[in-house]
Amino acid sequence: MIKLVNVSKEYIIDSEYTFYALKKASLEIKEKEFVSIMGPSGSGKSTLMHIVGLLDKPTTGKVYVDNKEISRISDDDLSKLRNEFVGFVFQQFNLINKLTVLENVMLPSIYCRKELDFDPNDRAESILNDFGLSEKRNSYPNKLSGGQQQRVAITRALMMKPKLILADEPTGNLDSKTGHEIMMLLEKLNKEEKITVVLVTHETEIAAYAKRIIY
Amino acid sequence: MKNLIFIFRSAIDDFSRNKLRTFLTSLGILIGVFAVVVLIALGLGLKKYISDQFEAMGKNSLFLVPGRVLSGGGFTGSVSSIAGRFDDRDLQTLKKINNVIGVAPLAFKSTKIKGLLKEDFGDIMFSSETFSDIMGLEVDRGRFFDKSDVSKKAKVVVVGSKIAEDYYGSDEGAIGKKITIDDVKFTIIGVTKSKGGGGMGGFDYDSYLFAPYTTGFIFNPDKKFFRLSVKVENENYVSQVKEDIKKEFLKRHKDEEFSIVEPTELMSAITSIFSVLNLILVAIAAISLLVGGIGIMNIMYVIVSDRIKEIGIRRAIGARKSDILSQFLAEAVLLSSIGGILGLGFAYLSVLAVHNLFPAYIDLTSVVLALGISSAIGISFGVFPARKAANLEPVEAIRYE
Repeated sequence: MIKLVNVSKEYIIDSEYTFYALKKASLEIKEKEFVSIMGPSGSGKSTLMHIVGLLDKPTTGKVYVDNKEISRISDDDLSKLRNEFVGFVFQQFNLINKLTVLENVMLPSIYCRKELDFDPNDRAESILNDFGLSEKRNSYPNKLSGGQQQRVAITRALMMKPKLILADEPTGNLDSKTGHEIMMLLEKLNKEEKITVVLVTHETEIAAYAKRIIY
Repeated sequence: MKNLIFIFRSAIDDFSRNKLRTFLTSLGILIGVFAVVVLIALGLGLKKYISDQFEAMGKNSLFLVPGRVLSGGGFTGSVSSIAGRFDDRDLQTLKKINNVIGVAPLAFKSTKIKGLLKEDFGDIMFSSETFSDIMGLEVDRGRFFDKSDVSKKAKVVVVGSKIAEDYYGSDEGAIGKKITIDDVKFTIIGVTKSKGGGGMGGFDYDSYLFAPYTTGFIFNPDKKFFRLSVKVENENYVSQVKEDIKKEFLKRHKDEEFSIVEPTELMSAITSIFSVLNLILVAIAAISLLVGGIGIMNIMYVIVSDRIKEIGIRRAIGARKSDILSQFLAEAVLLSSIGGILGLGFAYLSVLAVHNLFPAYIDLTSVVLALGISSAIGISFGVFPARKAANLEPVEAIRYE
């Protein structure tokens, strides 16, 4: 589904020194996989994740999405892919605090230009209900616990029925019990909804949820 | 559409969280729009005031004044060149010209006036029976003096309503009473209807007395007039009559000794001067709009910097550059429109407040202009900060803390 070939990300600090956030990484993620990407801090996991999630473009190397090379597609088309194809779950939840839970969850549908085959409001409410967040739908994210916020973030990631969920240290800001709950949720999505999950973590325990681990 | 509603709703949400900042930012535009709209309204009022004053004289009148008054639409030279005042012979010349149906000479006298309640200095205008007609003067009670009063040199006088009030207590109280003008006793035969006004270019007829010019020769032994007003049969003859008068008068006077003025000509000259003045004032006021726009641009840069993380999140979940651009543009336009609408509101209230004193008014053009300009300012000053927001790299933005 997603293939990275010899992908490098360089930051030129000055004329003599170039920092490689990622050096010649290759990776293939197949449909319905649950993949963990492991490595210590600073090893370029997040950079890799941003490239896989089409938030960032590599300096060299090629990225294929469904066998299409993405370096030539427009910024708007990248936005469209991020909107419809990928769902992000971040370590810091990255919810917009001035919007309510429901508004946060529905936000991706606002940015979608195509006709939706579902009612965004109904879908948002029903996932929130599944995750036990119905009562919080009109609360603001900063009034919720970390675990609740992360579940809202996962709801938002699921909103557009993505094929791929990218979770960047999703348990990093949570206690281990809540962390495991979140992981079980992701595992369930992979098994039952057949959504591809790519997980970035430095905790072996967390990575163990995945079927395949890449170091 | 749902997108647009969402964008504006979230902008309004944001403003209600930052009421003070929103208000202060809009204040610049508010003041600018207020100043521009009020000045336009005053300009329109002034125009209306002037045209009302001239309307009363009728379009079929001509005025002869000494010296050069108008030339090519503007004022040149002096109005008060007394060197060649008109005399009785000029008056007779005018009466003989074709299509002239009335002539009103005008002489002034400022002197001591003694009535029932008061003794003070006052101004008398000496003219003919046509005067009331030419100047659009109406008599409320009694009558204006007529042709026979003029030929008999009758000692009759018509007084302005304010004079009647001041010297006799009321209009009714003045009719038929004696009034002493410079030790000569006159009978009051009429009181004019109050016209109000005065000031700019017009006379405050309410505070004048009017008497036949023939009677006025008592005080005016050299029988000179400082203005001659001519009533033409109808407005189509005005230019012909003007030519004829010029031809006749050149036989006795030099070209620069007199001017023949059409009220409409005079009006357009005065109006054009005031229009230019008004335009300059409006242009100065418009500078504050510019300053207001810069204020909006400034605050929009602050708002964008405050929300880099939010922009990153929105980009990560699929917002396009254009979505971010329109979001911030909408906020800028909303900020300036709030200012524009409030400015318009305050301008309306101010115009309403002065309406009794001055016929200022806000026309549809000013409303459209005010709202159009304020949103245009929002767009043009908001576009740079909004572009900065839209062009942020998504990955940089989402990492930003």
